[in-house]
Amino acid sequence: MFNNRQTSRLLASPYIAWAVIFIVVPLAMIFFYGLTDESGALTFANVAAIARPENLKSLGLALVLALISTIICFLLAYPLAMILASNKISSQGIITTLFILPMWMNFLLRTMAWMTLLENKGVINGILSFFGLPTINIINTSAAIVIGMVYNFLPFMILPLYNALARIDDSVINAARDLGANAVQTFFKITLPLTIPGILSGITMVFIPALTTFAISTMLGGSKILLIGNVIEQEFTLSYDWNMGAGLSLVLMLFIIVNMVVTMMTDKSSNS
Amino acid sequence: MRKTIEKVYMGIILVFMYLPIVTMIILSFNSSKSRAKWGGFTFDWYINLASDSEIINAFANTLIIALISTVVATIIGTATCVAMMGLHKKSRSVIMGITNIPMINADIVTGISLMLLFRFLHFNAGFITVLIAHITFNIPYVMLSVMPRMKTINPSVYEAALDLGAEPFFAFRKTVLPDLMPAVISGAMMAFTMSLDDFIITYFTKGSGFDTLSTKIYSEVKRGIQPEIYALSAIIFIIVIVLMVGSRQLKARNSAASSKKEISYEKRKGLSKKTILLLAAACGVIVVIGLTFGGVFKTEDNQVYVYNWGEYIDPEVITMFEEETGIKVIYDEFESNEIMYAKIASDNSAYDVICPSDYMISRMIQEGMLQELDWNSLPYASENIDPNYLESAASFDEGNKYAVPNFCGTVGILYNKTLVDDPVTSWDILWDEKYAGQILMQDSVRDAFMVALAKNGYSINSTDPAQLEEAAAELIAQKPLVQAYVIDQVRDKMIGGEAALGVIYSGEALYTQRENSDLEYVIPDEGSNVWLDGWCITRDSKHTENALKWINFMCREDIALMNFEYVTYTTPNLKAQELIEDETIRNSTVAFPTEDTLSRCEVYTYLGQDADELYNELWKKIKAAD
Repeated sequence: MFNNRQTSRLLASPYIAWAVIFIVVPLAMIFFYGLTDESGALTFANVAAIARPENLKSLGLALVLALISTIICFLLAYPLAMILASNKISSQGIITTLFILPMWMNFLLRTMAWMTLLENKGVINGILSFFGLPTINIINTSAAIVIGMVYNFLPFMILPLYNALARIDDSVINAARDLGANAVQTFFKITLPLTIPGILSGITMVFIPALTTFAISTMLGGSKILLIGNVIEQEFTLSYDWNMGAGLSLVLMLFIIVNMVVTMMTDKSSNS
Repeated sequence: MRKTIEKVYMGIILVFMYLPIVTMIILSFNSSKSRAKWGGFTFDWYINLASDSEIINAFANTLIIALISTVVATIIGTATCVAMMGLHKKSRSVIMGITNIPMINADIVTGISLMLLFRFLHFNAGFITVLIAHITFNIPYVMLSVMPRMKTINPSVYEAALDLGAEPFFAFRKTVLPDLMPAVISGAMMAFTMSLDDFIITYFTKGSGFDTLSTKIYSEVKRGIQPEIYALSAIIFIIVIVLMVGSRQLKARNSAASSKKEISYEKRKGLSKKTILLLAAACGVIVVIGLTFGGVFKTEDNQVYVYNWGEYIDPEVITMFEEETGIKVIYDEFESNEIMYAKIASDNSAYDVICPSDYMISRMIQEGMLQELDWNSLPYASENIDPNYLESAASFDEGNKYAVPNFCGTVGILYNKTLVDDPVTSWDILWDEKYAGQILMQDSVRDAFMVALAKNGYSINSTDPAQLEEAAAELIAQKPLVQAYVIDQVRDKMIGGEAALGVIYSGEALYTQRENSDLEYVIPDEGSNVWLDGWCITRDSKHTENALKWINFMCREDIALMNFEYVTYTTPNLKAQELIEDETIRNSTVAFPTEDTLSRCEVYTYLGQDADELYNELWKKIKAAD
């Protein structure tokens, strides 16, 4: 197994076969549909459709909202992960599960619960007006979508950050402090750089789903706000234009590849 | 001090994480069906849940998919990780690269790519396709968890075991596997969680009649969720908490026991056996639940696939049909003609019976997507349906060859008398700044354009690009005033007083008035749309005979009456009309509009492919506008 190439190949073959049929071929299908028209002739029109003002706008908005959500997630999760990591002996298991537990409740149900909370006559406004405070009107706005994104994807940021922070050897921190660095310096010179791999995977795991969601924007945006995910979904379920849908998906893949390359490059430079 | 701040911070985040869950649990005790209104405390939803086969079914499907996909993915993923150690560095990085694709790729792209593959291979979408999809996205989670651990394992122990004469698999099981186990288990947990939580990939790979909890909820969110779902979530939540606390106590006890005695290799193995036994028991329970309640392996041939509008039938009727005929009904709902069209166009045999509206029937006839009905098998339809309605149906279905009228109705404005003080007589009020943020528009192309076209005095079947551009400009100008574009949600939001004015179909009006007496339904003076939809059978239907039985059953007077009383749209069933006992409903101008009102209304016609594309194009622009 460790050196036996034949056994290894045999063991790996089920997955390789699976991956080729259900990962590589479907991806090739997207390319095929995205680069052809209804009659099967080669065309770039489906990909170029991203340049139409309405599509470009939904892509831009998705990028902005995903970016804001990622930043908020990062700012919320980093201190939390530090707190969790510093208590690592006492209750590691329970704390991390506490933050994964909501994921066992269905994602759509949780998002819908936010609708109930945020609506004009919803729970939050009910509480606010009970205390005579001004009510908020954020349902069906971008702000509501951002709340939904942050809420749903926060665990994906907490976990990798926590893992990265928990892995840091305390003696490294102590060494820095012994050498005269203050808390702030230690954080920026030692802790932060050491957690860059965790940060990067957290960013990827929040940014990508936020960029491509359509359920959150439909539910919390009242179908008024169109993100690129909604546009693609509608090409398949409403307009019945699979080629266009696949073409726009290709554009989305481009962003994912860019994200991957940037991640890899930062990863490399931080290693060296 | 610092500890306090830390605790407060953690507390705030936990509140943020659990607030929606608490909300859901509270809602599960709310006796009002509407999310927006507290109607008092009740246990009804928990009781109803036990008999709600659809929800139980979806839940069972979710569990069984999660379980099987986790087991398969864990085995394949772990085997691959083990194998990787003996492979070339190059092939290793290729495999890892491919593995990263589903991780990095957006769910929507993964879902769509698999859907395209399944369609290409003519796979029947359903349990198997969803399972394959889940295994595909679960393997990477297992591998990413096991691989780092695998790299730290020293091969020399394994080799020593081989040297001592152990069989390779035995040696592996005794030396490598125990070290690998924690990573395998955490990978499996991750996979299980992801599978439970997945919506997007399931949404694209599921077929007709197959739902997991996610897809079930998504379709329900759009038309007002059944409170039974809250009850189910509350139960799941409690079970998960109990399991978690239980496993922690078990662990604590074990570690307390092991700290007393020096832990031996044998002992450790014994413990893991206990855990494995527990896991196996849990899996067994899930499998039993899945097989008992899930629709997974039930491949009865005597069935009929029905695709109908949301909340468009008395659920009791389905049960009655099944009992009387012995035919199993697989029942799905759609929100708009366009969504239904896209589904049938991509797979004509997905459903046997569908219920499109006038213009869509005409389009589907033109495109050869329907089959001619055998009226000899429809005695109730020929006897009970009002000839006047058959005549008007003939305007889009010449000779009544393809459709049996089901319901008809109008489109109008529903408004809340306490929130609107102006007289509502014209579509113009939907453009009144005074009601900014209080207006609900229909999230369907034709209906939205109808409002703008009628407002400007054009035909609602206009294909004139200039008129359509003008209507689109009107709708864009109106968008800042619109609270949301919704379809079936209008109901819930109007009942709860969330909005003042909403564009709605006539049947919904009677329903909402029952729940909230402040609501009033008006057909504006400029005129509106009157529609008629009918039962049709798809061209490639696999159960034509059962489909005919379904349609005929729906036309039986007692059944039509039950449906009418449930959905309150105008029924074209003459005998059912005579059976209506409630005077106010029989004389309701909403349920049965006057000649004068109808003379102002137009029926939609199919406008052809070019006009259709123009409508879609403009609609996208409206949706993308600020």
